[in-house]
Amino acid sequence: MAIESLILLVLLFPLLGGIINGTIGKNFSETVVGAIGTLMVAIPFIVSFTIFLSLDTAVQIPLFTLIQLSDFSLNAGLQVDGLAIWMTMIITGIGTLIHIFSMGYMKGDPGFYKFFAYLNLFVFSMLILVLGSSYFMLFFGWEGVGICSYLLIGFHYNDKEKGMLNTLAARKAFVMNRIGDLGLMIGCFLLLNQFGSLEFSDIAEKMKTMSIGIDSVAIIAITLCLFLAATGKSAQIPLFTWLPDAMAGPTPVSALIHAATMVTAGIYLVVRSNFLFELAPYTQNIILYIGLATSLVAAFIAMRQNDIKKVLAYSTVSQLGLMFVALGLGSYTVAIFHVSTHAFFKALLFLGSGSIIHANHHEQDMTKMGGLKKYMPTTHMVFLIGTLAIAGFPFLSGFFSKDEILAAGFSHGPIIFGLLILSASLTAIYMFRMYFLVFFGEFRGDHHTKEHLHESPAVMTIPLLVLAILSILGGALNLPSFLIKSGSHWLDHFLNHSTFGLNVVHPHHLEASDAVGIMIGTSILTLIIIGISYSIYVSKKKTTKDETEFTGWEKLSTNKLYMDELYHSLFVKPTEWKSEKVIPLIENGILVKIISTLTTLVVSSGNQIRKIQTGILSSYYFWMIIGIVGLIGYYLIYFKFWNS
Amino acid sequence: MELLIIALALGLISFIIPRNSVKIFGLIGSLVSAGIAIFHLVNYSPESSVTLYENHSLPFGMTFHVGYDGLGLLMIALTNLIIPIILLSNYNNSKTSESPMFHALVFLMQFGLLGVFSAEDGILFYIFWEFTLIPIFLILYWFGSGTNKVLLKFFIYTLIGSLGMLLSFIALGLQAKSFDYVDLVSVQLPAKEACWIMSGIMLAFAIKIPIFPFHTWQPDTYTSAPMPGTMLLSALMLKMALFGMIKWMLPLAPEGISDLKWIILVLSVVGLLYAAIMCIKMNDIKRLFAYASISHLGLIAAGIMIFTKDSLVGASIQIVNHSLIAVGLFLIAEILESRLKTRNLNEMRGTATLAPKFGFWFAIIAFASVSVPFTAGFIGEFTLLKELTDFNTWIGIISATTLVFGAVYTLRAYQLSMFGTPKIDSFEDLRWNELAVFVIISISVVIFGLFPHLISDLVGPSLDRLLAIFNAPTSL
Repeated sequence: MAIESLILLVLLFPLLGGIINGTIGKNFSETVVGAIGTLMVAIPFIVSFTIFLSLDTAVQIPLFTLIQLSDFSLNAGLQVDGLAIWMTMIITGIGTLIHIFSMGYMKGDPGFYKFFAYLNLFVFSMLILVLGSSYFMLFFGWEGVGICSYLLIGFHYNDKEKGMLNTLAARKAFVMNRIGDLGLMIGCFLLLNQFGSLEFSDIAEKMKTMSIGIDSVAIIAITLCLFLAATGKSAQIPLFTWLPDAMAGPTPVSALIHAATMVTAGIYLVVRSNFLFELAPYTQNIILYIGLATSLVAAFIAMRQNDIKKVLAYSTVSQLGLMFVALGLGSYTVAIFHVSTHAFFKALLFLGSGSIIHANHHEQDMTKMGGLKKYMPTTHMVFLIGTLAIAGFPFLSGFFSKDEILAAGFSHGPIIFGLLILSASLTAIYMFRMYFLVFFGEFRGDHHTKEHLHESPAVMTIPLLVLAILSILGGALNLPSFLIKSGSHWLDHFLNHSTFGLNVVHPHHLEASDAVGIMIGTSILTLIIIGISYSIYVSKKKTTKDETEFTGWEKLSTNKLYMDELYHSLFVKPTEWKSEKVIPLIENGILVKIISTLTTLVVSSGNQIRKIQTGILSSYYFWMIIGIVGLIGYYLIYFKFWNS
Repeated sequence: MELLIIALALGLISFIIPRNSVKIFGLIGSLVSAGIAIFHLVNYSPESSVTLYENHSLPFGMTFHVGYDGLGLLMIALTNLIIPIILLSNYNNSKTSESPMFHALVFLMQFGLLGVFSAEDGILFYIFWEFTLIPIFLILYWFGSGTNKVLLKFFIYTLIGSLGMLLSFIALGLQAKSFDYVDLVSVQLPAKEACWIMSGIMLAFAIKIPIFPFHTWQPDTYTSAPMPGTMLLSALMLKMALFGMIKWMLPLAPEGISDLKWIILVLSVVGLLYAAIMCIKMNDIKRLFAYASISHLGLIAAGIMIFTKDSLVGASIQIVNHSLIAVGLFLIAEILESRLKTRNLNEMRGTATLAPKFGFWFAIIAFASVSVPFTAGFIGEFTLLKELTDFNTWIGIISATTLVFGAVYTLRAYQLSMFGTPKIDSFEDLRWNELAVFVIISISVVIFGLFPHLISDLVGPSLDRLLAIFNAPTSL
């Protein structure tokens, strides 16, 4: 079959799965629901893999016109190119593994069928996002994943203790994302204004013929709007506080949506719009600094979090920040490389933490874990692999992708490079703190939990093993040229080949000697950090401190730099104050009063006039005469004086 | 002509239908009228103007002239299709659904609305406009919980507004020597006079829509009205004013727009934000939906004031969308109020756990009302905001913040009423008629969300005609 019809299948299956499970899934057994849900993502993975094998040039697939307006039209259409199909494979591939894992993790949940329906719908929306041929389609998917994210974060809305908190987190995520969406929407308007179309290909074509000045106001406005959207979805400063809260959702959701796929939508958006951003170095600089700042801030906060999922959430924010650094430096393919490897090891870590939480009776506090190595050998092994991969242990996937970002930073300047090294070191520190706290030492939870500690079932560990293998080998996607002679930078070449704009932007590769130097340097640094962490958390058994003993920086870190409190008093409080105090005052104190006076006036004037209707004939005559005199007088004055 | 007569006939017959069968009669009757509207819709060829009835031999230069073009037909079809939905949602509400009087009033209301949407004569438009006030007032008075003061405020206030419109029509008609739409439109006016005439007409519409700061009658009236009354008001009656702005106000006195455009535009946008912020901390769910309605309609009114083809198309889509959503939202408010005996959001909790079907459909309607993709609101708001941004970037950006505020208050209302641990033991899940209403609304909203050209193709040619009138060079 041709790509045109195959790609429709890719979209159709998850939608179908969502509808089937959502409507009649209640009557099926969990196995059937899970199998349907998983197959509806697995089949698209296989289909997209065959497309991937045969893809040569970008293919446009117009579907239908939603509406034809006088200045522009809104069209539904798809576009398959290297970038789109690569993202599709990540989404469906990782998605399949997480679906399988969920069958074990969500076992016995009354909303089992709903969960799979939502997950399928999420995959559908995410696929529209990456496969759409225009910013309009991208917006469709963009909002769609936002809704699914909302539904899944608040999935356990009727939980006795945390129900309300879960839904508050869900609402926060949705609202903060909406602020970003505002940027995307305004960006779309500006694009329409400038180019008269929202199709990627149209805009790209017009970019060639139109002479748009570098850093012209229009292009900066457009790119800034798009970047605002990206900060919302990809949890960057200033819109990043929703992501840690979003951990209220079930852990597979955190793995799929809030680590591997949805949060990378912002990076996808920038890569997709690379031809716009290339003309706006001003915006690129902003992206660079925001990405760097986010990466450092989030890594700093992750240092003193005790909730295992919160650590991973801040780690995700930090890694996304690194990807934005790559984007800010113009290394689009490097960003996608890190998106891919991050999808592998972060999904692994989240699912691993899910396995741990599952064994610990839904306890997420690391201070109540410890020594899990001997109870959960498989989980321990894969978790270690994930930790090593994210920390940049030599020759694992994260090592190569992070190294490319460092290399890009190296060619930009020493300050940026130094800060990137700092961020990478912080990553290794908090990750190994977590790893040692969870798996080493003595178990610190209650007795009851300890008795029931167990390894998770195969349905959960098999996806973990697959992800572990990917986390080890993922670096092979894009090996540097000094390591192997042919086939180096495979992913770069693949993405550049058929994705518009990327073929023009050549990533800057370092001299072999510099590159090797950076690699060796970071490897040594990582090993030292692992050693120090081991001595602190295992040999000296410094597990946790009381909050009262915290030093200044630890307080800042554990309280998340007081960002939530800051936003609350800056934005939430004033708006609520307006809503509760100011506007009701205007409404009831002024506007309602005026209208009441008006109606009272009408009613009382009615009462006054009623008095005239006395029923006494003589008084009618009196008023009649007054009226006649008045009329005559009026006409006399009018004709005599006015017209003369 | 059967379009109007059937509504009138249904209204009169309803009086003599026995109590126990009146609700079935009402439903079938309204479906028949909906069928007739669909028949007209199918047989309508775009770009044509259909005359239903014409009689010029009336005193004072008045004519009895009714007909429709694409825009009018859209509103007529909307009226006839929404009425059965309203009656269906009210089907199990014994107080109103078993009353012949109630059905008579609803059909008379329908008659009045159809008259408004099809009138081709200024005075006739005014008469129908005022006529609709009588049945809705009686519905509120006999079946609602409002105090006399609230009702009086509503009645007198809207009446005063209409007076402005009447005076404007008379002033124009005296110059045209006729009140026929075509003649009224062709009158050329000096800018100053046009400004006065437009202000007079706008007064009526601004109160009805309502635009800030003329809105204060609305929340009280909505909350005290019985559910079908609220639905009639927000889904249909307010649309008379938006329709009036497009068809009557702007083409009649286009010369006056330069002075008024900014005033109305700014008031609309202020109102849109004002109502949205008000909603954020509001605890009375019905009142919240009333203010949300003000916010949504503010956007439509602002879009109409720009008066470009696209903004009017967006406004038409949004009019249809809002009618559907309003019915859904007020049905939700009614379900909660009638079963929990409270409208206070803080006293509801965990309803979704007890009534999962209700929780699901409330979520769908809530998402539709915050205009997510696949719903008509998405296309409508996208188009309106695009046009507003093109007109003035700041107005566009400020209006677009409703996206955020809308999400905040809608999800808050959903969350407080649906989530958490329930305080009560049981909550009756959706009845068949309620389920049917939600299904119909959701499907329609999605259909118009994916194929909005169904609406734009219908209204496009008539909008072009109106724009041609509006943009015609003025000689005075």
